[in-house]
Amino acid sequence: SAAARRPWRLFGAMCLLRLPRITQPLQKVEEEMAALMEQIELEKSHYSDHEIRKLEEEERLKRKKETLYDEDEARGKTVIMAQDLEEKWEQKFLQFKAAPRITDADKRNDRTSLNRKLDSNLMLLVKQKIGNQELWLLPQVEWQPGEMLRSTAERAMATFLGDHIQAKVLGNAPYGIYKYKFPRAIRTEDNVGAKVFFFKAFLQSSDLSQAELKADYLWVTKKELGDYLKPEYLKKVNRFLLD
Amino acid sequence: DALLGCHRSYRSRPTHGIGKFKYLLPKEGPKKRKEKVQMKEIDAGTEYQYGDVNIQMTSYDLCLVEHFAQYVHRLCNRLSIRVNESYAMPTKTNEVLFMEERGSKMQLDAVLTTHQRVVQIRGLSSTFAPVLLEIIQSSQPEGVHLLMKQHTEADFKSRLKSRPELEELLAEMS
Repeated sequence: SAAARRPWRLFGAMCLLRLPRITQPLQKVEEEMAALMEQIELEKSHYSDHEIRKLEEEERLKRKKETLYDEDEARGKTVIMAQDLEEKWEQKFLQFKAAPRITDADKRNDRTSLNRKLDSNLMLLVKQKIGNQELWLLPQVEWQPGEMLRSTAERAMATFLGDHIQAKVLGNAPYGIYKYKFPRAIRTEDNVGAKVFFFKAFLQSSDLSQAELKADYLWVTKKELGDYLKPEYLKKVNRFLLD
Repeated sequence: DALLGCHRSYRSRPTHGIGKFKYLLPKEGPKKRKEKVQMKEIDAGTEYQYGDVNIQMTSYDLCLVEHFAQYVHRLCNRLSIRVNESYAMPTKTNEVLFMEERGSKMQLDAVLTTHQRVVQIRGLSSTFAPVLLEIIQSSQPEGVHLLMKQHTEADFKSRLKSRPELEELLAEMS
């Protein structure tokens, strides 16, 4: 019945997360613990095949030097010493260069790129016009009757990022809700306020070259959210965000 | 005389059979050899409940995978999700051969072992499943691949070894 239905407008918003690509650096306690455990394990462990071979060959060399005319086995076959193998592996290791943990985007503090802060979650924030104000929000779009809230959120994502995004929405249930009432000037009988339902999606590929970004956008971490979002909104959004 | 005394209860003694308890336990039937096939739950309508879900973790590093599997198991215990089984798949060994074309033709070998651990869960409600997935995803260590899928009969069969001789005899008989 229309009279009993509350006059709220419904919106579906999408919180697009880019998962961290590197593990976070260990804390001091964790580092000390790890070092201690390594030392204990090293002292408790037995020799591996490679180490036994190395020790045997060292002994053989020593014996050969002491007794000059002692030739144990026929040295016809070329024997690769374990020491040589180790040196070869060391050289190979020195040639290998790991990618830097702090990328260029971090140094420039360029918040529009995805390469920044590789060890924490990044969220998409978009500038939208609501009423008279331009606000930084999670991308949201109004709900059309007859569709599921999840498809509303996916539509919101598609309007801001284009159709070809590989993002995975996990479930049909929303993660959070934010409701607000319109200021008295706009409030009518039918439109008391709005409710925004938040959904979460994970970005599968970090390749956004195909995405057509229409409005101003930012990728921010959880701590930086406070710079952009309003306090009430921020409180509700923080409730469903893992660090 | 004290050395020769023995305190064994004879059948005439009132304390005979004082330590027996096996008659109090429930009777075990004869041992069965067959493994029971899986029991699957149907996904209902509104109250979504996933049936058996397998969380498979693969990696080259054994300690890491085992510790992660233990962590997932304990996490499910804490969240009171029923864990059916937690088992390991057989390890696969890969030999990596490098052929150096330039210089002397040498073959460097490396032996890689791939380990896989599976944690089977039942009774996961669909409102909670995304949260669980996110927790596990965010606490994934480096070098560990995570896969969550529904349990099928093929998964169950992959754990069992086929017996070619038995199959031959059966084929000959029938």
